[in-house]
Amino acid sequence: MNILLVEDDVELAQSVGDHFREHGFAVQHCADGESGLASACAGDHQVIILDRMLPRLDGLSLVRKLRERRVLTPVIYLTTMSGIDDRVQGLEAGGDDYLVKPFAFAELLARVRVLSRRPATANEPAIRLALGSIELDLLKRSVQRAGRDIELLPQEFRLLEYLMRNPDRVLTRRMLLENVWGIHFDPQTSVVESHISRLRAKVNHGFEFDVIQTIRGTGYKFLAPG
Amino acid sequence: MSFRPFAAPGINFLRPVRVLKTESFRSAALFATLFLILSWVLLGVVYWIVNGTQTAALIGAVDADISTIRNGYREKGLPEAIEVVQQRLGSGDYSGADLPGGYILLQDQASGRLAGNLPPLDFRPGLFSFPAPRKSKHDSAMVLGRGVYVTPGVYLFVGRDTSQITATRARILKAFGWIEAASIVLAALGGIFFSVQFMRRIDAITRTCQAIIAGRFNDRIALRGSGDELDRLSVAINNMLDRISTLLDNLRQVSSDIAHDLRTPLTHLRNRLEEARQKSVTTADYAAVVAHAIEDTDHLLVIFAALLRISQIESGSRLAAFSTLSMSELLERIYEMYRPVAEDEQHMLVHDIQPDVRIRGDAELLTQLFSNVIENAIRHTPPGARIRISLRESGNAVVAAVEDNGPGIPTGEHEKVFRRFYRLTSSRSTPGNGLGLALVAAIANLHHAKMELGDNRPGLRFQASFPSGQRA
Repeated sequence: MNILLVEDDVELAQSVGDHFREHGFAVQHCADGESGLASACAGDHQVIILDRMLPRLDGLSLVRKLRERRVLTPVIYLTTMSGIDDRVQGLEAGGDDYLVKPFAFAELLARVRVLSRRPATANEPAIRLALGSIELDLLKRSVQRAGRDIELLPQEFRLLEYLMRNPDRVLTRRMLLENVWGIHFDPQTSVVESHISRLRAKVNHGFEFDVIQTIRGTGYKFLAPG
Repeated sequence: MSFRPFAAPGINFLRPVRVLKTESFRSAALFATLFLILSWVLLGVVYWIVNGTQTAALIGAVDADISTIRNGYREKGLPEAIEVVQQRLGSGDYSGADLPGGYILLQDQASGRLAGNLPPLDFRPGLFSFPAPRKSKHDSAMVLGRGVYVTPGVYLFVGRDTSQITATRARILKAFGWIEAASIVLAALGGIFFSVQFMRRIDAITRTCQAIIAGRFNDRIALRGSGDELDRLSVAINNMLDRISTLLDNLRQVSSDIAHDLRTPLTHLRNRLEEARQKSVTTADYAAVVAHAIEDTDHLLVIFAALLRISQIESGSRLAAFSTLSMSELLERIYEMYRPVAEDEQHMLVHDIQPDVRIRGDAELLTQLFSNVIENAIRHTPPGARIRISLRESGNAVVAAVEDNGPGIPTGEHEKVFRRFYRLTSSRSTPGNGLGLALVAAIANLHHAKMELGDNRPGLRFQASFPSGQRA
């Protein structure tokens, strides 16, 4: 899998690049906005990791130019601009995800993995979502596992939907908070854990196979049941 | 608010040229000119009316005499006409002590003057005037009168001295002259007076600005209390200065917070690392220290992020993103979000939320506000506590409250808990950075919400009253 890393902090770029290579990614690095734009247009990348404050061409303009040229490669910002409006601005310019520095590499890795299969399946409007024996009817908001109805509360349903749209991928606590609850701050209580444990109990009730795998210290992963 | 004279070099207050250049002086001059033009028009009208009325009265008297003399002639012939002329000349109208008097002339072609007090005239009929033969007060006295033929060959002229009319005209002109002179002087004085007043106040504003530039940030413009436009401008400027100084204070506060409150955790971190360098032997030792160090760093980063967020909210930049939103739905969502968390902590979370209550605000920040308050309730109450979220609209206020029946907060500390880094003695042992409620306060202030902490007997009641969405 190819990643384009546009980042002017050479030390950070080196460290991030090394990490990704260890996980089997090919990483191309550009240290300024203009060469980043050129590489993004020319290359075949699955994900672009982009700083916002770059020499020559800033990240926001880079994304706008990229989208103008119909290059739809998913973009995740990696930036120190942590303002409340900065994220909105970044996403409005055409970015797909926003991660504020400093960050844990596991968080970045999880987000890049989720983004790398966009826009094929994630977020596309669908009526049904079926993985293995679990079926979600998105219109009726109903869930069945192996033909058996499962009663879920609205927030549990949204949580399951997000997990199932990104199966076999680690979803961090923060990704769940952002995508399921739409909140961008760190709760001081175990919001995600409590909801996951209830969802898990309901979905697994009467079955052997646990569809929600806990990745210690990082997050959760949905595994399609047989 | 003190008033201190402040004279910067190069600024001369109240120089005459400046007075003449002010807007109020210019408008005074403009109005004076308009007044003068109007009074000239008025003068013209008065002059015309008075002159016309007096002339008409004079001609009326002349014509009355003419017809009396004519009647005399018609009834009894020329001697009677001469008799009537003599009588008229003897009456007060013609020979009063007070000049101007009147003039009559009766003459015929053959013998010249038959009667009257005028030298013979040309036989000229109709209205005309000529210089008076009897010089009275006025050298320029004129006679205005009418000439007629009583019968062919007999000519009659009756006239009056016009000096009274002339005198009235002169009086009118004189009066208007005085009025105009007085108004020019008054306008000029008034213009200068108002300009000086105006400039004094402008100079007061200028002085305050100069004082602030010079570093006296607490100086404010003194108000007159009249509520006029300059007062309103001064109030606006003062409010702006207050806002700026709040922002400055904030900035100072944040810097000193960072300086003081980040130093402690940084010192801990440094000590830990130094100790590790001296004492650690095995890889496991090092790994433990590194894990600890990462934890410390994360804690520092959280504090940093929270401080930045608070100062960002306090700067008011989020106001632009305000929209009308359903507070009921927002609180329902938060309730759904925290219900399982509360259950896991053996608390009971209940709600009493009035539907369809709207306010103007920022959904993300309001979510954070109530999350923080509810999380505080969850974390600082013993198992088995009951936490209640409520929302109701009463009058112009939307009141959202979070109540618990835990240990509560001593009344004396109610104000302090919203300060940055303030932590109750009882909660020092639980994790937290003392910024949660400071953030709550910042968000509430941004929404013009009134926050209150109260005793829930037992427990704590947090209440925020927002202005109702329809009005805001």
